Amino acid sequence: METTINVKQLSKTYDGILAVDNVNISVARGTVFGLLGANGAGKSTIIECILGTKRQDSGEVSILGMNPQRERKKLFEKVGVQFQEANYQENIRVGELCEVTESLYKTTIDYKVLLKQFGLSEKSKSLVNELSSGQRQRLFIILALIPNPEIVFLDELTTGLDSKARRDVWNFLSYLKKQGLTILLTSHFMDEIEALCDEICILKQGKTVFYGNVNEAILASPFEKLEDAYLWYTEEFENENI
Amino acid sequence: MKTFRIMLKSELKLSLRGIDMIIFAICMPIVVIIIIGIIYGDTPAFDGAEYTYLEPSFSAVATIAICAGGVMGLPLVISDYRHKKILKRFKVTPSSPLMILAVQVVIYALYSITSLVFVYTVARLFFGYQLNGSWFQFLGGYLLVILSMFSIGVLVGGLAPNIKIASVITSVLYFPMLIFSGATLPYEAMPTALQKVANILPLTQGIKLLKAASLGLPIESVIFPIMVMILFAIICISVSIRFFKWE
Repeated sequence: METTINVKQLSKTYDGILAVDNVNISVARGTVFGLLGANGAGKSTIIECILGTKRQDSGEVSILGMNPQRERKKLFEKVGVQFQEANYQENIRVGELCEVTESLYKTTIDYKVLLKQFGLSEKSKSLVNELSSGQRQRLFIILALIPNPEIVFLDELTTGLDSKARRDVWNFLSYLKKQGLTILLTSHFMDEIEALCDEICILKQGKTVFYGNVNEAILASPFEKLEDAYLWYTEEFENENI
Repeated sequence: MKTFRIMLKSELKLSLRGIDMIIFAICMPIVVIIIIGIIYGDTPAFDGAEYTYLEPSFSAVATIAICAGGVMGLPLVISDYRHKKILKRFKVTPSSPLMILAVQVVIYALYSITSLVFVYTVARLFFGYQLNGSWFQFLGGYLLVILSMFSIGVLVGGLAPNIKIASVITSVLYFPMLIFSGATLPYEAMPTALQKVANILPLTQGIKLLKAASLGLPIESVIFPIMVMILFAIICISVSIRFFKWE
């Protein structure tokens, strides 16, 4: 299968502290890849190094065979990104933010269709500031999908969403995956990981402590649930350090 | 180009919703020119002067908007957009953060030009003001003042580590410049000692340039201000290009 995201021996330090330590990731087209780990485990740093907004100390990164820093303009026609922290102008309205985002790309999906799909049609004239956190989260997923991307990066996909909204987002992402979309996401919800991810990478202090599919993760642990297995992976290594 | 147009429309709306530039760049210069017109209207600028007090003041008041936009509006919006990681978001699109900065420069230039039109209209209609010099030279000088003031703004916005420091620096630059460069308080009315201090401010030089152009004084008298303005622009632009922080 074609590899869309390829990360080899990625390392990154901040002020002498190793934030990402020799991480390898390979994501096949049309699959969903999950990065797991506690806050500060290095998930966002890895995503930023992949996207080229942070420069790695060593290692290689390519998306769709392109270098994210050298071929930025070409690459980001095909890649949608939702960052963890919301970045939008004060006093901007939902429709305006969508319209500006749409204008950045050559080919796009009609954002009105996306707003409808995510139940935000009536909010088009509302200030982004005034949306509930769940609505805002859905809006940022929409922004990542506007370029009709081949790959999307979703950092903390459904944080702040209620159960129904999370299910809706899952269903929509599953549908897009069937259409061939590749997704790289981070999440703290194990049910979400189980429902969506083909492969996962569990991080502990910047190191990969597990890499494979969800079943393998559970089988290689003494537990039967992913949540328990996940805690086992992350805590076992913590104990080793002590 | 389509991107630029849509972004300009949306950023302009956001800026107007912010209201502060309407007050500082549009309303304030109009108020100042009306006050100067009412108080000094037809009195000569000094004993035996061939022009009235209002004539040189017109050029000074016309720069208030440039000062407000360049050293207050522009640095604050740049530092705000960096702080909110809006510039970073543009890095993961086919567009670039430079685009949104260019849009901001155009917006503040529009404020300045709008203000110039209003101040001229008021001075003309209510106080019979006429620009005796060359409009061509005046507008050339106006653009030069915009260039050098905005380059200061981009420098401050690009280098200030956070929005708090940016707003301290902009206040330190804006208020002295507004008061002592002759934009509001007439330079001619200042004591000589103060004039010497005021001469350090780049806007003072810019206003001298505009006064000369609007009064039709010979261009040789303003070579020094022109050089100062250009030098300021070159220094600020090169430093910001070298050290600009996107995050």
